[in-house]
Amino acid sequence: MAETHTDETHKIYLQPIPVRIWHWLNAFGIVTLTVSGAQIRFPEYISILGSYKSAIYLHNTAGFVVAISFSLWFFYYTFVTRTMANLYVPKVEDLKSGILRQVKFYFLTYFLGWKNPHHPTPDNKFNPMQKSVYLAIMFVMMPLVSLSGIFLTNVDPLRGLIVMVGGLKLLAGLHFLLACSLIAFIPTHVYLATLGHTPTEHIKTMWTGWEDELEEEDHHETVNDNLATSR
Amino acid sequence: MKKYSLHISLIPALLLVMLWAPLTVTAMDTDDCLGCHGDTDMVDEELFIDAEGFLHTVHAEMGCDTCHESVTDEHPDDGEAITSSACLDCHEEVSDEYMATSHAENATCNDCHDPHQAHGLEAVSGTDMNQQCSQCHENDEVLSSHAEWLPQANLHLAKLPCITCHTSSDSYEVLLNITQKQSKTKGSTGYNFSTYADLKEYSGEKEIQSLIDINEDGHISLAELRTFNLNPAYKKLHLSGTLVPSEASHDLSTLDNRYDCTFCHAAGPGSLQTSFLAFPNATGTYTRMTVDEGAMLDTLYGTPNFYMTGSTRSASLNIIGLLIICGGFIMPIGHGTLRFLTRKNRQH
Repeated sequence: MAETHTDETHKIYLQPIPVRIWHWLNAFGIVTLTVSGAQIRFPEYISILGSYKSAIYLHNTAGFVVAISFSLWFFYYTFVTRTMANLYVPKVEDLKSGILRQVKFYFLTYFLGWKNPHHPTPDNKFNPMQKSVYLAIMFVMMPLVSLSGIFLTNVDPLRGLIVMVGGLKLLAGLHFLLACSLIAFIPTHVYLATLGHTPTEHIKTMWTGWEDELEEEDHHETVNDNLATSR
Repeated sequence: MKKYSLHISLIPALLLVMLWAPLTVTAMDTDDCLGCHGDTDMVDEELFIDAEGFLHTVHAEMGCDTCHESVTDEHPDDGEAITSSACLDCHEEVSDEYMATSHAENATCNDCHDPHQAHGLEAVSGTDMNQQCSQCHENDEVLSSHAEWLPQANLHLAKLPCITCHTSSDSYEVLLNITQKQSKTKGSTGYNFSTYADLKEYSGEKEIQSLIDINEDGHISLAELRTFNLNPAYKKLHLSGTLVPSEASHDLSTLDNRYDCTFCHAAGPGSLQTSFLAFPNATGTYTRMTVDEGAMLDTLYGTPNFYMTGSTRSASLNIIGLLIICGGFIMPIGHGTLRFLTRKNRQH
């Protein structure tokens, strides 16, 4: 799957089309959910989407779209590329030293002008810190927020289940706090995306799929090794 | 002198006795009437009065002859036609309000209300309040007309009495009912209102109110509500909330503001602060008990099964949520500042 350009600068095809479609659909959906959700919870202060009713319809529709796109994402990585575990589950080495190395880079050596110790490849896109965060977000928070949303849009037919999990108020509270946590991730996510060689590098990659590669010799070898294995 | 003054004071009492005596001799009392009219073997179906329901109405306390004045001791042998008072003779205040509605062209008082089964708003459940409406308004039609504009129409219609929106009452209150899961043998799978007999199984020899009102002071505190909600013995009992108007009104038109969701779904309507718990009576009516102010907003234990989007949100959860979102800006602001200050280190 991975290919290289033969230009002067090495480029690597990091984000395949299905992932990019999913990412931007998700981004658009989450922003829509945030705005409509805010209006639903604070209707007397926020009326950006018009009537309360339209905010509800929009929230339900965007929630449905995000839940479906999540399922497609899950299906794509688990059954099509079969790289889900490899990409998202931290390895023993990641836990033992990788996370610490990455934390040290972001909070210390980055400011001293050192290079990022992690070099993304199609098979190892995320650094150990990213892996751990995405694992929590994609495997715990997203499924829980979607599931609680499905419960809240089907209160009547799912009443028995809702009572079983502790009642509507608990469910709505959980949905709200999970949503706040996911919203909190947005500024962090966008900020970290600007930490490439140039501030827009990673953002462009998520749009075009191609990422500029580092020029150090040792890294060329790493990339070539990875490309060889992925073929 | 003392003896004389005693005589004077007795005169009004004697007059009263003399005035009352003929009435009590000639008129039948309610028990006499029900002797025949409460028995299907004695009267036709249209003349039958369900004594169980009637005796607990305010109308019963007034006595049959208050409305049916022409009834004599000889009834029915005297062949006298029985007169009935018009509802508006007493309920004058309803007249102007109701006559101005389009309902007045289609239904008289008796079409909606049975004077022998009439209860005040406080003595009936939200579901009972809809009985009058459903006599004419078919469920399917009501659902489809509401679904044209109302999100979750079936949920709104299932949970709210019609008069919560179709009313002119200024204030509202939350009414909590105890519900329980119906056993499969009863043919229903949903949660239905617990009856007096259902709750008696839990309370045993004590009054059913003691299930929640533990100290039996006639008021339910937040602590008592929590104890009830957390008690594993009452695991199958759940509280179900609805919003009802504080006053019965006969202005059944829909006011424009009812189409605005934020009429209910917004924080702080004063009416949401006040709530009552409706305990079923053996007769099928309900007796309300006051609950601590603000019980609706107790996030976890107050009323776990009553949640109204936008209204019952918890201030403490909002603060926690805001802190979480603010936490998301620590990285961009903190790291971003250091990044700016150390930018020279990365200029290769």
